[in-house]
Amino acid sequence: MTDERFERRLVEAAQDYHRPPATPREEMWLRIAATRAARRRRAAAWRPVLRWGMGIAALLALGIGIGRWSANASRPGATTATAPTPDRTSAFVYRLAAAQYLTRTETLLTGFRTESRAGARPPTGQFAMQARDLLCTTRLMLDSPAGRDVRLKSLLEDLELVLAQIAQLPATGEREDLQSINQGLDQRSVLLRLRTANPAGPGSPRVQGVL
Amino acid sequence: MEEHELIARVRAGDGAAERVLYDAHVDRVYRLAYRMAGDDELAREFTQDTFVRAFERLASFRGEAKLSTWLHAIATSVVLNGLRKVKRFRRRETDLDDAAGVAAGRRAAEPDLKRRLAQAIDDLPHGYRTVFVMHDVEGYTHEEIGAALGVETGTSKAQLSRARARLRESLADFAGEWVS
Repeated sequence: MTDERFERRLVEAAQDYHRPPATPREEMWLRIAATRAARRRRAAAWRPVLRWGMGIAALLALGIGIGRWSANASRPGATTATAPTPDRTSAFVYRLAAAQYLTRTETLLTGFRTESRAGARPPTGQFAMQARDLLCTTRLMLDSPAGRDVRLKSLLEDLELVLAQIAQLPATGEREDLQSINQGLDQRSVLLRLRTANPAGPGSPRVQGVL
Repeated sequence: MEEHELIARVRAGDGAAERVLYDAHVDRVYRLAYRMAGDDELAREFTQDTFVRAFERLASFRGEAKLSTWLHAIATSVVLNGLRKVKRFRRRETDLDDAAGVAAGRRAAEPDLKRRLAQAIDDLPHGYRTVFVMHDVEGYTHEEIGAALGVETGTSKAQLSRARARLRESLADFAGEWVS
């Protein structure tokens, strides 16, 4: 048989290979609409968490500002008649910001672990966006007086690594990547240390033992 | 409606325009997904995933290629990734079946030509099968295949030629039947 003839017969016969039925247009359209609506709802639910991030970053910036101002005020030669007040304010702001940051990070990591272990494909895009936001705050925390606490510094460094991994997750969220992040969380007991550092989340009575 | 106008309306959140875009392309996407997967549930899942992603990413569509080319690049990526996952899962299942000594009979044992051809296509290497199904079964051009798979047109042609050669080898004992 010639090549040409063989190819012609091959193409003819191959038309029956996995011959598709009529396209189920309506059913698929309904499911596409439902999936997109669910994603929009989920995105809307995460929006307040992002606002928290902005708030925490603002608080940290305020804390750093007050810290610098009080350091300048206590330099020799400077007028120091009423110096203690800004120091106390600054410490309080750092603690509050740390508590809020740790709470948000715990929420993100718990949600990430739960969704990725449930077998479903987690919304990696949203997790990545929040992780990027928290990464900025982590850097600020490490550079702030909170970073002088040895235990907290070690926790922040581990969080920075995990958040960086989540921030770089592709939208498809391959199972191997998710497993590797979860293994990192387990091996370094990140969530346990996070909950120990921030036993009851933010709020005035809870801020007491944060740092 | 012109394509660029349709895209602009979809980007602006026009639901009717989304449906127009879907109707214009869904048949071809579903057919390709079905041909590759050979399973209605999987084909539906891949088609739905393709359109969900396309609507989400339409803002990043720069219009350098035709919308259909861009959409088929998403579709082939969704289908090929999805099939890889299914294959991994099925391989694990097959291993368990083999261990239990309950492996089912293979299609290759059946003498029917079309079944043998289907088996031979299934057995082609991943890239060959994709190009063969797209070109010889679904009628995509080499340019379309190259754009969808992110390969040169020449690569698509070479893979098709090798795929046909493999099929010819696999179906050698049916040559007489084809001539008659």
